[in-house]
Amino acid sequence: MNLMKKITVGFLSGVLLLTGYSALGGQEMTNLPVGGALAVQSLKPYWHVFIAYAIVLVAVLGWVISMGRRLSALETRLGDSAEHQ
Amino acid sequence: MSVSGLRKGGVTLTALGLIGLVVIYWLSFFWVSTEIRQGIVQRIFYVHVPAAWTTGLAFGIAALTSAMYLWLRDERLDRAAVSAAEGGMVFGAIMLTTGPLWGKIAWGTYWTWEPRLTLTLLLWFIFLGYFMVRSATDNPEKGKRFAAVVAIVGALDIPFIHLSVIWFRSLHPAPVVIKPEGPSLPGDMLTLLLASFAVFTVLFFGLFLLRYALETVRVELDARAREVAA
Amino acid sequence: MSYLRQVQAIVWKDLLLEFRTKERLVAMGAFAVLSAVLFNYAVDRTAVRPQDIAAGLIWMTIVFGGLLGVGRTFHLEAQDGAFEGILMSPAPKDAVFLGKTLANFILLYVVSLLVVAVFMLFFGLELGASPAVLALVLCLGVLGFVSLGTLFAAVSSGTRMGETLLPILVFPLLVPMVIFGTGATGRLLASRPVAEVVGDIRMLGAFAVMALAAGALLFRFVVED
Repeated sequence: MNLMKKITVGFLSGVLLLTGYSALGGQEMTNLPVGGALAVQSLKPYWHVFIAYAIVLVAVLGWVISMGRRLSALETRLGDSAEHQ
Repeated sequence: MSVSGLRKGGVTLTALGLIGLVVIYWLSFFWVSTEIRQGIVQRIFYVHVPAAWTTGLAFGIAALTSAMYLWLRDERLDRAAVSAAEGGMVFGAIMLTTGPLWGKIAWGTYWTWEPRLTLTLLLWFIFLGYFMVRSATDNPEKGKRFAAVVAIVGALDIPFIHLSVIWFRSLHPAPVVIKPEGPSLPGDMLTLLLASFAVFTVLFFGLFLLRYALETVRVELDARAREVAA
Repeated sequence: MSYLRQVQAIVWKDLLLEFRTKERLVAMGAFAVLSAVLFNYAVDRTAVRPQDIAAGLIWMTIVFGGLLGVGRTFHLEAQDGAFEGILMSPAPKDAVFLGKTLANFILLYVVSLLVVAVFMLFFGLELGASPAVLALVLCLGVLGFVSLGTLFAAVSSGTRMGETLLPILVFPLLVPMVIFGTGATGRLLASRPVAEVVGDIRMLGAFAVMALAAGALLFRFVVED
């Protein structure tokens, strides 16, 4: 759910940034050799940013979950050995 | 420190780190200005560069505690080494996947033999060996010593790898590369990057404490099992 | 017995063992020749000039063939507790390591010269203008490789996975050796001036010294019980 929310936020922010770009474009485009370069690559960079940010969350949460599973396995073992005695 | 204390500290730091990460994401979408030349994709740097720093920190701690373990033979040092090494694997994987995502847009290709990229890849595999050695020994004490040797030799080899991959590149120039660094990073970008550094560091230490606590429980349980068996 | 005598004794013992059985030498030599044969068919020689890729192929053959032999450093002695006997002898552990490494070095150096000779013969390569420098490059590269190889052969033969683990442990560490080694070899084979490879040779030397010192320092932790 957290991830869904984040993707929504990210998407909305993407739209916002795009409009911001076109507003600023008039001044900044003069620095670029090709005026339409940013418009052409449009959405692809957003996807890359979203995927990268998602990877961070997945990796960190994945590690937490893996530690949790290992801990619960240990606790089962602890329970077994307690029964044993 | 007791296991419950470690776990409490770990949970607190991890929660802080995760909240910080959400704040960083929010800031990077809504607050920070967009870099002119690279555009949106430059935002990957706010996770990529701190992940790289954390990877280096983690593997550094792992190598240092490994060396100290061989010297002092304190179990806690080995636990710290294995916890840090695992963190290095996780954050190294983050760095190795987010880097190419940026590179595809900025360089036009997912992978180049860029020195830092190559170095991280090799480091990651050195520590893969670290974990394989650990798990492939029947005697845990032996596994700890072997793994420590792997970490130390890896750390000693790093300067050579670093020099050689730079050397290699100077012979075979890579395709046009937009240099990511530039000391004159605009104010808000620098602020966000530094904040992200802090968040990743806190997150790493939180997870590190959790992993350390887990290792402590595991070692104690193993010791108890051996007592029962004896 | 002085330190050098102890090292010498181990080198001599290992070489004597090798000359009696000839197991590893034959295996590595045959590997080198057969790889060259396979390379001949794997590489389209009408599209790629052999001299352009010879340096890389030579070094990869040395690395793979070397692992084959170095990985078995401790196999023979693992039987009947022979290695425990060596460890219990008054010779310090680093002397044991240096002896083993030197014996491996002599074997692999002979093999690497054979590899170069085989490539000359099969691919019609010229030896370049300064064969003595080429021999030095091979010597330093092989020394670094053998030092790491011997240390990690001791590690991997103490694990369940055995030699399967060796390449995973050693390959990431070998990148500097491969880069400097092939860089220097390629330019020497092309008869470039020696001044161009001095930097590579220096780095290969530093790498060999680091590997040898690391092995001598850490070997005791691998074999202790």
